[in-house]
Amino acid sequence: MTPGQVLLFTVGGLSNAAYLFIVAAGLSLVFGALRVINMAHGSLYMIAAFVTVVIANQLGAGLGFWGGLLVAVAVAGAIGGVVEVLVLRRVYGREHLVQLLGTYAVSLVVAGGVRIVFGPNYRTVASPIPGHLDLAGYSYASYSLFMIAGAIVIGAGVWTMLYRTNLGRNIRAAVSDPDLLNATGVNVTRLYTTVFVIGAGLAGLGGSIVAPSQAVGSSIDTDVLVLAFAISVIGGLGSIVGSAVGALIVGMVISFGLVIPQTNPFALAFVFIIMTAVLIVRPRGLFGRPES
Amino acid sequence: MLKVDGLNVRYGKSHVVFDFSAEVKDGETLAVLGRNGAGKTTTIRGITGLLPGASGRVIVGGTDMSGWPAHRRTRRGLAYVPSGARCFPNLTVVENLDIASHANGDGWTWNKDRIWELFPRLESLRHNLAGGLSGGERQMLAVSRALMGNPRVMLLDEPTEGLAPVLVQSIAALLATLKSTGVSILLAEQNHQMALRVADRAAFIEKGRIVEVLPASRARDSEVLHRILGV
Repeated sequence: MTPGQVLLFTVGGLSNAAYLFIVAAGLSLVFGALRVINMAHGSLYMIAAFVTVVIANQLGAGLGFWGGLLVAVAVAGAIGGVVEVLVLRRVYGREHLVQLLGTYAVSLVVAGGVRIVFGPNYRTVASPIPGHLDLAGYSYASYSLFMIAGAIVIGAGVWTMLYRTNLGRNIRAAVSDPDLLNATGVNVTRLYTTVFVIGAGLAGLGGSIVAPSQAVGSSIDTDVLVLAFAISVIGGLGSIVGSAVGALIVGMVISFGLVIPQTNPFALAFVFIIMTAVLIVRPRGLFGRPES
Repeated sequence: MLKVDGLNVRYGKSHVVFDFSAEVKDGETLAVLGRNGAGKTTTIRGITGLLPGASGRVIVGGTDMSGWPAHRRTRRGLAYVPSGARCFPNLTVVENLDIASHANGDGWTWNKDRIWELFPRLESLRHNLAGGLSGGERQMLAVSRALMGNPRVMLLDEPTEGLAPVLVQSIAALLATLKSTGVSILLAEQNHQMALRVADRAAFIEKGRIVEVLPASRARDSEVLHRILGV
Protein backbone atom coordinates (compact mmCIF):
# COMPACT_ATOMS: atom_id res chain seq x y z
CA MET A 1 0.00 0.00 0.00
CA THR A 2 1.45 3.40 -1.00
CA PRO A 3 1.48 6.38 1.40
CA GLY A 4 -1.10 8.03 -0.86
CA GLN A 5 -3.42 5.06 -0.48
CA VAL A 6 -2.92 5.00 3.28
CA LEU A 7 -3.96 8.67 3.40
CA LEU A 8 -6.95 7.97 1.16
CA PHE A 9 -8.22 5.12 3.31
CA THR A 10 -7.46 7.04 6.49
CA VAL A 11 -9.62 9.93 5.32
CA GLY A 12 -12.29 7.38 4.35
CA GLY A 13 -12.06 5.89 7.84
CA LEU A 14 -12.25 9.31 9.45
CA SER A 15 -15.37 10.25 7.51
CA ASN A 16 -16.98 6.94 8.55
CA ALA A 17 -15.93 7.67 12.13
CA ALA A 18 -17.35 11.20 11.89
CA TYR A 19 -21.02 10.36 11.45
CA LEU A 20 -20.76 7.22 13.56
CA PHE A 21 -19.31 9.26 16.44
CA ILE A 22 -22.15 11.77 16.31
CA VAL A 23 -24.73 8.96 16.47
CA ALA A 24 -22.84 6.94 19.12
CA ALA A 25 -22.29 10.05 21.28
CA GLY A 26 -26.07 10.52 21.47
CA LEU A 27 -26.60 6.86 22.36
CA SER A 28 -23.89 7.04 24.98
CA LEU A 29 -25.11 10.31 26.49
CA VAL A 30 -28.60 8.85 26.93
CA PHE A 31 -27.28 5.65 28.45
CA GLY A 32 -24.87 7.50 30.76
CA ALA A 33 -27.52 9.74 32.28
CA LEU A 34 -30.72 7.71 31.93
CA ARG A 35 -29.28 4.16 32.08
CA VAL A 36 -31.52 3.32 29.14
CA ILE A 37 -30.30 1.50 26.04
CA ASN A 38 -32.28 3.20 23.30
CA MET A 39 -33.08 0.76 20.50
CA ALA A 40 -34.99 3.55 18.73
CA HIS A 41 -31.82 5.66 18.36
CA GLY A 42 -31.33 4.45 14.78
CA SER A 43 -34.94 5.33 14.00
CA LEU A 44 -34.34 8.97 14.89
CA TYR A 45 -31.25 8.92 12.66
CA MET A 46 -33.31 7.46 9.80
CA ILE A 47 -36.17 9.95 10.17
CA ALA A 48 -33.70 12.84 10.08
CA ALA A 49 -31.96 11.43 7.00
CA PHE A 50 -35.30 11.18 5.16
CA VAL A 51 -36.45 14.64 6.25
CA THR A 52 -33.15 16.12 5.07
CA VAL A 53 -33.32 14.39 1.70
CA VAL A 54 -36.94 15.40 1.08
CA ILE A 55 -36.44 19.04 2.04
CA ALA A 56 -33.10 19.37 0.22
CA ASN A 57 -34.54 17.85 -2.95
CA GLN A 58 -37.59 20.11 -2.76
CA LEU A 59 -35.67 23.32 -2.14
CA GLY A 60 -32.55 22.43 -4.09
CA ALA A 61 -29.08 21.45 -2.87
CA GLY A 62 -27.12 24.06 -0.99
CA LEU A 63 -29.50 26.16 1.09
CA GLY A 64 -32.12 23.40 0.87
CA PHE A 65 -29.75 20.94 2.55
CA TRP A 66 -28.85 23.24 5.45
CA GLY A 67 -32.51 24.11 5.99
CA GLY A 68 -33.31 20.41 5.82
CA LEU A 69 -30.60 19.67 8.38
CA LEU A 70 -32.04 22.17 10.86
CA VAL A 71 -35.59 20.89 10.40
CA ALA A 72 -34.42 17.26 10.60
CA VAL A 73 -32.57 17.80 13.87
CA ALA A 74 -35.59 19.61 15.31
CA VAL A 75 -37.93 16.82 14.16
CA ALA A 76 -35.67 14.11 15.65
CA GLY A 77 -35.42 16.06 18.92
CA ALA A 78 -39.17 16.60 19.08
CA ILE A 79 -39.94 12.93 18.38
CA GLY A 80 -37.34 12.04 21.02
CA GLY A 81 -39.15 14.26 23.51
CA VAL A 82 -42.46 12.55 22.80
CA VAL A 83 -40.89 9.07 23.07
CA GLU A 84 -39.28 10.02 26.40
CA VAL A 85 -42.54 11.25 27.89
CA LEU A 86 -44.76 8.48 26.52
CA VAL A 87 -42.45 5.46 26.68
CA LEU A 88 -39.26 5.94 28.65
CA ARG A 89 -40.86 7.43 31.76
CA ARG A 90 -42.64 4.12 32.17
CA VAL A 91 -39.48 2.02 32.00
CA TYR A 92 -36.91 4.01 34.04
CA GLY A 93 -35.45 1.93 36.80
CA ARG A 94 -36.81 -1.29 35.30
CA GLU A 95 -34.50 -4.05 34.11
CA HIS A 96 -32.71 -3.47 30.81
CA LEU A 97 -34.84 -6.11 29.04
CA VAL A 98 -38.03 -4.08 29.60
CA GLN A 99 -36.26 -0.94 28.33
CA LEU A 100 -34.94 -2.80 25.29
CA LEU A 101 -38.38 -4.12 24.44
CA GLY A 102 -40.01 -0.72 24.97
CA THR A 103 -37.60 1.16 22.75
CA TYR A 104 -37.49 -1.72 20.22
CA ALA A 105 -41.26 -1.38 19.89
CA VAL A 106 -40.78 2.32 19.12
CA SER A 107 -38.19 1.44 16.45
CA LEU A 108 -40.67 -0.98 14.79
CA VAL A 109 -43.42 1.64 14.79
CA VAL A 110 -41.06 4.23 13.28
CA ALA A 111 -39.76 1.77 10.65
CA GLY A 112 -43.33 1.00 9.57
CA GLY A 113 -44.23 4.69 9.55
CA VAL A 114 -41.19 5.60 7.46
CA ARG A 115 -42.06 2.93 4.86
CA ILE A 116 -45.62 4.28 4.64
CA VAL A 117 -44.59 7.94 4.43
CA PHE A 118 -41.41 7.73 2.33
CA GLY A 119 -41.92 4.46 0.45
CA PRO A 120 -39.55 1.49 0.07
CA ASN A 121 -37.09 3.07 -2.39
CA TYR A 122 -33.69 4.43 -1.57
CA ARG A 123 -33.28 8.18 -1.98
CA THR A 124 -30.24 10.32 -2.52
CA VAL A 125 -29.40 13.98 -2.23
CA ALA A 126 -26.64 15.99 -3.88
CA SER A 127 -23.76 17.15 -1.73
CA PRO A 128 -24.24 20.68 -0.39
CA ILE A 129 -20.47 21.15 -0.62
CA PRO A 130 -19.51 19.93 -4.09
CA GLY A 131 -15.97 19.76 -5.30
CA HIS A 132 -12.93 17.88 -4.20
CA LEU A 133 -9.41 18.30 -3.02
CA ASP A 134 -6.50 16.63 -4.82
CA LEU A 135 -3.69 15.39 -2.66
CA ALA A 136 -0.86 12.91 -3.33
CA GLY A 137 -2.50 11.66 -6.47
CA TYR A 138 -5.91 11.04 -5.00
CA SER A 139 -9.11 13.04 -4.88
CA TYR A 140 -10.97 13.75 -1.67
CA ALA A 141 -14.61 14.88 -1.60
CA SER A 142 -14.88 18.24 0.11
CA TYR A 143 -17.99 16.99 1.89
CA SER A 144 -16.02 14.14 3.52
CA LEU A 145 -13.60 16.68 4.95
CA PHE A 146 -16.57 18.77 6.11
CA MET A 147 -18.02 15.72 7.90
CA ILE A 148 -14.75 15.14 9.73
CA ALA A 149 -14.47 18.79 10.77
CA GLY A 150 -18.17 18.80 11.73
CA ALA A 151 -17.73 15.78 14.00
CA ILE A 152 -14.77 17.43 15.74
CA VAL A 153 -16.82 20.59 16.33
CA ILE A 154 -19.82 18.59 17.57
CA GLY A 155 -17.61 16.46 19.84
CA ALA A 156 -16.06 19.62 21.29
CA GLY A 157 -19.56 21.08 21.69
CA VAL A 158 -20.83 18.03 23.57
CA TRP A 159 -17.74 18.04 25.80
CA THR A 160 -18.16 21.76 26.52
CA MET A 161 -21.83 21.25 27.31
CA LEU A 162 -20.99 18.41 29.73
CA TYR A 163 -18.04 20.00 31.50
CA ARG A 164 -18.55 23.75 31.19
CA THR A 165 -22.28 24.36 31.66
CA ASN A 166 -24.76 23.98 34.51
CA LEU A 167 -26.80 21.60 32.35
CA GLY A 168 -23.76 19.38 31.85
CA ARG A 169 -22.95 19.47 35.56
CA ASN A 170 -26.51 18.39 36.31
CA ILE A 171 -26.28 15.60 33.73
CA ARG A 172 -23.06 14.34 35.30
CA ALA A 173 -24.68 14.48 38.74
CA ALA A 174 -27.65 12.50 37.42
CA VAL A 175 -25.24 9.84 36.18
CA SER A 176 -24.01 9.23 39.73
CA ASP A 177 -27.08 9.84 41.94
CA PRO A 178 -30.42 10.99 40.46
CA ASP A 179 -32.18 10.58 43.80
CA LEU A 180 -29.78 12.95 45.54
CA LEU A 181 -29.97 15.34 42.60
CA ASN A 182 -33.73 15.50 43.02
CA ALA A 183 -33.30 16.25 46.73
CA THR A 184 -30.77 18.93 45.80
CA GLY A 185 -33.43 20.93 43.99
CA VAL A 186 -32.99 19.82 40.38
CA ASN A 187 -36.05 18.67 38.43
CA VAL A 188 -34.68 15.31 37.33
CA THR A 189 -37.78 14.42 35.30
CA ARG A 190 -37.28 17.49 33.14
CA LEU A 191 -33.52 16.91 32.99
CA TYR A 192 -34.09 13.39 31.65
CA THR A 193 -36.35 14.74 28.91
CA THR A 194 -33.71 17.33 28.01
CA VAL A 195 -30.97 14.70 27.84
CA PHE A 196 -33.10 12.44 25.67
CA VAL A 197 -33.95 15.31 23.33
CA ILE A 198 -30.23 16.14 23.02
CA GLY A 199 -29.44 12.45 22.35
CA ALA A 200 -32.21 12.30 19.75
CA GLY A 201 -30.94 15.54 18.21
CA LEU A 202 -27.47 14.01 17.89
CA ALA A 203 -28.97 10.93 16.21
CA GLY A 204 -30.79 13.33 13.88
CA LEU A 205 -27.64 15.32 13.22
CA GLY A 206 -25.80 12.11 12.32
CA GLY A 207 -28.59 11.05 9.95
CA SER A 208 -28.77 14.45 8.36
CA ILE A 209 -25.03 14.83 7.86
CA VAL A 210 -24.65 11.34 6.39
CA ALA A 211 -27.52 11.78 3.88
CA PRO A 212 -25.44 13.31 1.02
CA SER A 213 -22.80 10.57 1.30
CA GLN A 214 -25.01 7.46 1.46
CA ALA A 215 -28.27 6.26 -0.06
CA VAL A 216 -31.11 6.76 2.41
CA GLY A 217 -33.47 3.79 2.76
CA SER A 218 -35.72 2.25 5.35
CA SER A 219 -33.08 -0.14 6.70
CA ILE A 220 -30.41 2.42 7.63
CA ASP A 221 -31.82 2.53 11.18
CA THR A 222 -30.61 -0.97 12.06
CA ASP A 223 -27.39 -0.58 10.03
CA VAL A 224 -26.31 2.43 12.08
CA LEU A 225 -27.68 1.13 15.38
CA VAL A 226 -25.59 -2.03 15.18
CA LEU A 227 -22.42 -0.01 14.50
CA ALA A 228 -23.28 2.57 17.19
CA PHE A 229 -23.70 -0.25 19.71
CA ALA A 230 -20.38 -1.77 18.66
CA ILE A 231 -18.72 1.64 19.12
CA SER A 232 -20.35 2.12 22.51
CA VAL A 233 -19.32 -1.33 23.68
CA ILE A 234 -15.74 -0.80 22.50
CA GLY A 235 -15.43 2.76 23.84
CA GLY A 236 -17.61 2.25 26.92
CA LEU A 237 -21.30 3.18 27.14
CA GLY A 238 -21.71 6.53 28.85
CA SER A 239 -18.34 7.95 27.81
CA ILE A 240 -18.13 10.63 25.11
CA VAL A 241 -14.36 10.13 24.77
CA GLY A 242 -15.05 6.40 24.49
CA SER A 243 -17.52 7.09 21.68
CA ALA A 244 -14.87 9.07 19.81
CA VAL A 245 -12.21 6.37 20.19
CA GLY A 246 -14.70 3.60 19.41
CA ALA A 247 -15.88 5.45 16.30
CA LEU A 248 -12.28 5.92 15.13
CA ILE A 249 -11.56 2.21 15.57
CA VAL A 250 -14.74 1.12 13.80
CA GLY A 251 -14.41 3.73 11.04
CA MET A 252 -10.81 2.73 10.31
CA VAL A 253 -11.45 -1.01 10.49
CA ILE A 254 -14.29 -0.71 7.97
CA SER A 255 -12.32 1.58 5.65
CA PHE A 256 -9.11 -0.46 5.58
CA GLY A 257 -10.95 -3.79 5.85
CA LEU A 258 -12.98 -3.09 2.75
CA VAL A 259 -10.07 -2.07 0.52
CA ILE A 260 -7.68 -4.89 1.35
CA PRO A 261 -8.77 -7.76 -0.97
CA GLN A 262 -8.02 -10.49 1.58
CA THR A 263 -10.11 -8.84 4.31
CA ASN A 264 -12.87 -7.36 2.17
CA PRO A 265 -15.48 -10.09 2.83
CA PHE A 266 -14.85 -9.86 6.58
CA ALA A 267 -14.56 -6.07 7.05
CA LEU A 268 -17.68 -5.78 9.19
CA ALA A 269 -16.89 -9.02 10.98
CA PHE A 270 -13.65 -7.45 12.25
CA VAL A 271 -15.68 -4.77 14.02
CA PHE A 272 -17.52 -7.41 15.98
CA ILE A 273 -14.39 -9.46 16.63
CA ILE A 274 -12.87 -6.35 18.24
CA MET A 275 -16.10 -5.75 20.14
CA THR A 276 -16.07 -9.31 21.44
CA ALA A 277 -12.42 -9.04 22.43
CA VAL A 278 -13.15 -5.84 24.36
CA LEU A 279 -16.13 -7.51 26.07
CA ILE A 280 -13.87 -10.37 27.19
CA VAL A 281 -10.88 -8.30 28.31
CA ARG A 282 -12.64 -5.17 29.58
CA PRO A 283 -16.43 -5.61 29.70
CA ARG A 284 -17.10 -1.96 30.55
CA GLY A 285 -15.31 -0.80 27.38
CA LEU A 286 -12.09 1.17 26.99
CA PHE A 287 -13.37 4.33 28.71
CA GLY A 288 -16.52 3.11 30.46
CA ARG A 289 -17.13 3.13 34.18
CA PRO A 290 -18.51 0.04 35.93
CA GLU A 291 -22.27 0.22 36.50
CA SER A 292 -23.02 0.78 40.17
CA MET B 1 -41.16 26.02 60.90
CA LEU B 2 -41.74 22.41 59.93
CA LYS B 3 -45.06 20.75 60.49
CA VAL B 4 -45.64 17.14 59.56
CA ASP B 5 -49.13 15.79 59.97
CA GLY B 6 -50.13 12.15 59.60
CA LEU B 7 -47.14 10.98 57.54
CA ASN B 8 -47.54 7.40 56.41
CA VAL B 9 -45.05 5.59 54.20
CA ARG B 10 -45.66 2.37 52.36
CA TYR B 11 -43.24 0.34 50.26
CA GLY B 12 -45.55 -1.66 48.03
CA LYS B 13 -47.76 -3.62 50.41
CA SER B 14 -45.64 -3.08 53.51
CA HIS B 15 -46.53 -0.16 55.76
CA VAL B 16 -43.30 1.26 57.23
CA VAL B 17 -44.13 4.60 58.90
CA PHE B 18 -47.43 5.07 60.76
CA ASP B 19 -49.01 8.48 61.36
CA PHE B 20 -45.83 10.41 62.08
CA SER B 21 -46.78 13.91 63.23
CA ALA B 22 -44.40 16.52 64.55
CA GLU B 23 -43.87 20.25 64.70
CA VAL B 24 -40.44 21.85 64.78
CA LYS B 25 -40.48 25.58 65.45
CA ASP B 26 -38.03 28.11 64.01
CA GLY B 27 -34.69 27.64 65.73
CA GLU B 28 -35.76 24.38 67.30
CA THR B 29 -34.19 20.93 66.93
CA LEU B 30 -36.14 17.73 67.19
CA ALA B 31 -34.13 14.54 67.49
CA VAL B 32 -35.68 11.38 66.11
CA LEU B 33 -34.23 8.46 68.02
CA GLY B 34 -34.70 4.76 67.50
CA ARG B 35 -32.89 1.56 66.75
CA ASN B 36 -31.67 0.57 63.29
CA GLY B 37 -34.70 -0.28 61.18
CA ALA B 38 -37.14 1.63 63.41
CA GLY B 39 -38.11 3.87 60.48
CA LYS B 40 -35.98 6.99 61.06
CA THR B 41 -34.57 7.18 57.53
CA THR B 42 -37.91 6.34 55.93
CA THR B 43 -39.61 9.06 57.97
CA ILE B 44 -37.09 11.66 56.81
CA ARG B 45 -37.23 10.51 53.20
CA GLY B 46 -41.02 10.60 53.38
CA ILE B 47 -40.84 14.26 54.40
CA THR B 48 -38.45 15.09 51.53
CA GLY B 49 -40.92 13.93 48.89
CA LEU B 50 -38.55 11.30 47.52
CA LEU B 51 -40.83 8.37 48.34
CA PRO B 52 -43.82 7.81 46.08
CA GLY B 53 -45.51 5.74 48.80
CA ALA B 54 -45.61 8.61 51.32
CA SER B 55 -48.84 10.38 52.27
CA GLY B 56 -49.68 13.05 54.83
CA ARG B 57 -49.14 16.78 55.10
CA VAL B 58 -45.78 18.55 55.12
CA ILE B 59 -45.76 22.29 55.82
CA VAL B 60 -42.57 24.37 55.70
CA GLY B 61 -42.71 27.99 56.84
CA GLY B 62 -46.46 28.11 56.26
CA THR B 63 -46.26 26.60 52.75
CA ASP B 64 -48.15 23.35 52.38
CA MET B 65 -45.81 21.13 50.32
CA SER B 66 -47.93 18.00 50.45
CA GLY B 67 -47.82 16.26 47.11
CA TRP B 68 -44.90 18.37 45.84
CA PRO B 69 -41.96 16.62 44.19
CA ALA B 70 -38.69 16.59 46.15
CA HIS B 71 -36.88 19.17 43.99
CA ARG B 72 -39.65 21.72 44.51
CA ARG B 73 -39.64 21.21 48.29
CA THR B 74 -35.87 21.71 48.31
CA ARG B 75 -36.16 24.94 46.35
CA ARG B 76 -38.64 26.26 48.87
CA GLY B 77 -36.43 25.74 51.87
CA LEU B 78 -36.46 22.04 52.80
CA ALA B 79 -32.90 20.68 52.84
CA TYR B 80 -31.97 17.04 53.21
CA VAL B 81 -28.64 15.60 54.30
CA PRO B 82 -28.85 11.87 53.60
CA SER B 83 -26.98 9.28 55.61
CA GLY B 84 -23.66 7.94 54.41
CA ALA B 85 -22.24 11.38 53.53
CA ARG B 86 -23.72 11.10 50.05
CA CYS B 87 -22.24 13.47 47.50
CA PHE B 88 -21.87 13.46 43.75
CA PRO B 89 -18.54 11.59 43.58
CA ASN B 90 -17.80 12.50 39.95
CA LEU B 91 -18.24 16.23 40.58
CA THR B 92 -15.71 18.53 42.23
CA VAL B 93 -16.32 20.02 45.67
CA VAL B 94 -17.23 23.37 44.07
CA GLU B 95 -19.61 21.70 41.63
CA ASN B 96 -21.27 19.82 44.50
CA LEU B 97 -21.93 23.18 46.16
CA ASP B 98 -22.92 25.11 43.03
CA ILE B 99 -25.48 22.50 42.05
CA ALA B 100 -27.38 23.12 45.28
CA SER B 101 -27.10 26.88 45.23
CA HIS B 102 -30.49 28.54 45.16
CA ALA B 103 -32.50 31.00 47.22
CA ASN B 104 -35.49 29.79 49.22
CA GLY B 105 -37.67 32.85 48.79
CA ASP B 106 -36.19 34.62 51.83
CA GLY B 107 -33.08 35.45 49.81
CA TRP B 108 -29.51 34.20 50.06
CA THR B 109 -27.93 33.47 53.36
CA TRP B 110 -25.28 30.98 52.36
CA ASN B 111 -22.59 31.15 49.71
CA LYS B 112 -19.27 29.44 49.10
CA ASP B 113 -17.29 32.03 51.08
CA ARG B 114 -19.34 31.27 54.18
CA ILE B 115 -18.91 27.54 53.58
CA TRP B 116 -15.11 28.02 53.36
CA GLU B 117 -15.22 29.91 56.68
CA LEU B 118 -17.18 27.07 58.24
CA PHE B 119 -15.06 24.26 56.79
CA PRO B 120 -11.68 25.68 55.70
CA ARG B 121 -10.59 22.16 54.77
CA LEU B 122 -13.16 22.11 51.96
CA GLU B 123 -11.73 25.27 50.41
CA SER B 124 -8.35 23.65 50.01
CA LEU B 125 -10.05 20.69 48.31
CA ARG B 126 -12.42 22.74 46.18
CA HIS B 127 -11.22 21.43 42.82
CA ASN B 128 -10.94 17.80 43.96
CA LEU B 129 -13.54 15.23 42.98
CA ALA B 130 -15.86 14.48 45.90
CA GLY B 131 -15.32 10.75 45.36
CA GLY B 132 -11.71 11.15 46.50
CA LEU B 133 -12.53 12.83 49.83
CA SER B 134 -12.34 11.12 53.21
CA GLY B 135 -15.56 10.20 55.03
CA GLY B 136 -15.33 13.25 57.27
CA GLU B 137 -14.67 15.59 54.37
CA ARG B 138 -17.61 14.15 52.46
CA GLN B 139 -19.85 14.66 55.46
CA MET B 140 -18.76 18.33 55.65
CA LEU B 141 -19.56 18.60 51.96
CA ALA B 142 -22.96 16.91 52.36
CA VAL B 143 -23.95 19.36 55.10
CA SER B 144 -22.52 22.29 53.13
CA ARG B 145 -24.47 21.29 50.04
CA ALA B 146 -27.68 21.39 52.06
CA LEU B 147 -26.77 24.83 53.42
CA MET B 148 -26.21 26.19 49.91
CA GLY B 149 -29.97 25.87 49.38
CA ASN B 150 -30.46 28.48 52.13
CA PRO B 151 -32.84 26.19 54.01
CA ARG B 152 -35.56 27.04 56.52
CA VAL B 153 -35.75 23.42 57.55
CA MET B 154 -32.97 20.86 57.60
CA LEU B 155 -33.52 17.13 57.73
CA LEU B 156 -30.33 15.33 58.74
CA ASP B 157 -30.04 11.57 58.63
CA GLU B 158 -27.22 10.31 60.86
CA PRO B 159 -24.83 13.18 60.09
CA THR B 160 -22.22 11.89 62.54
CA GLU B 161 -22.24 8.28 61.37
CA GLY B 162 -18.70 6.98 61.13
CA LEU B 163 -17.10 10.32 62.03
CA ALA B 164 -14.16 10.82 64.37
CA PRO B 165 -15.13 12.39 67.73
CA VAL B 166 -13.59 15.74 66.79
CA LEU B 167 -15.77 15.92 63.68
CA VAL B 168 -18.83 14.93 65.70
CA GLN B 169 -18.08 18.00 67.84
CA SER B 170 -17.85 20.18 64.71
CA ILE B 171 -21.19 18.94 63.43
CA ALA B 172 -22.79 19.51 66.85
CA ALA B 173 -21.39 23.04 66.95
CA LEU B 174 -22.65 23.68 63.41
CA LEU B 175 -26.15 22.50 64.33
CA ALA B 176 -26.12 24.85 67.32
CA THR B 177 -25.10 27.73 65.02
CA LEU B 178 -27.84 26.87 62.54
CA LYS B 179 -30.41 26.76 65.33
CA SER B 180 -29.40 30.22 66.39
CA THR B 181 -30.12 31.50 62.87
CA GLY B 182 -33.70 30.25 63.11
CA VAL B 183 -33.40 27.08 61.01
CA SER B 184 -35.69 24.23 62.12
CA ILE B 185 -33.80 20.96 62.37
CA LEU B 186 -35.04 17.39 62.34
CA LEU B 187 -32.17 15.13 63.28
CA ALA B 188 -32.26 11.34 63.04
CA GLU B 189 -29.36 9.90 65.00
CA GLN B 190 -27.97 6.70 66.43
CA ASN B 191 -25.60 8.78 68.54
CA HIS B 192 -28.20 9.76 71.14
CA GLN B 193 -25.70 11.56 73.36
CA MET B 194 -24.80 14.00 70.63
CA ALA B 195 -28.41 14.27 69.47
CA LEU B 196 -29.73 15.06 72.94
CA ARG B 197 -26.98 17.61 73.47
CA VAL B 198 -28.10 19.69 70.48
CA ALA B 199 -31.83 18.90 70.45
CA ASP B 200 -34.63 20.65 72.30
CA ARG B 201 -36.93 17.64 72.15
CA ALA B 202 -36.64 13.98 71.23
CA ALA B 203 -39.18 11.78 69.48
CA PHE B 204 -38.60 8.08 70.11
CA ILE B 205 -39.77 5.79 67.35
CA GLU B 206 -40.22 2.07 67.34
CA LYS B 207 -41.52 -0.07 64.45
CA GLY B 208 -42.43 3.06 62.48
CA ARG B 209 -44.47 4.75 65.22
CA ILE B 210 -43.68 7.59 67.60
CA VAL B 211 -43.92 6.09 71.06
CA GLU B 212 -42.97 9.14 73.11
CA VAL B 213 -41.86 12.76 72.71
CA LEU B 214 -39.86 14.30 75.56
CA PRO B 215 -37.86 17.47 76.17
CA ALA B 216 -34.19 16.64 75.63
CA SER B 217 -33.37 17.39 79.28
CA ARG B 218 -35.82 14.72 80.43
CA ALA B 219 -35.05 12.28 77.63
CA ARG B 220 -31.46 11.71 78.77
CA ASP B 221 -32.35 9.45 81.68
CA SER B 222 -35.78 8.43 80.57
CA GLU B 223 -37.10 4.91 80.71
CA VAL B 224 -37.99 5.06 77.02
CA LEU B 225 -34.38 5.85 76.06
CA HIS B 226 -33.13 2.84 77.99
CA ARG B 227 -35.87 0.61 76.64
CA ILE B 228 -35.67 1.61 72.97
CA LEU B 229 -31.96 2.14 72.56
CA GLY B 230 -30.90 -0.40 75.15
CA VAL B 231 -28.56 2.01 76.95
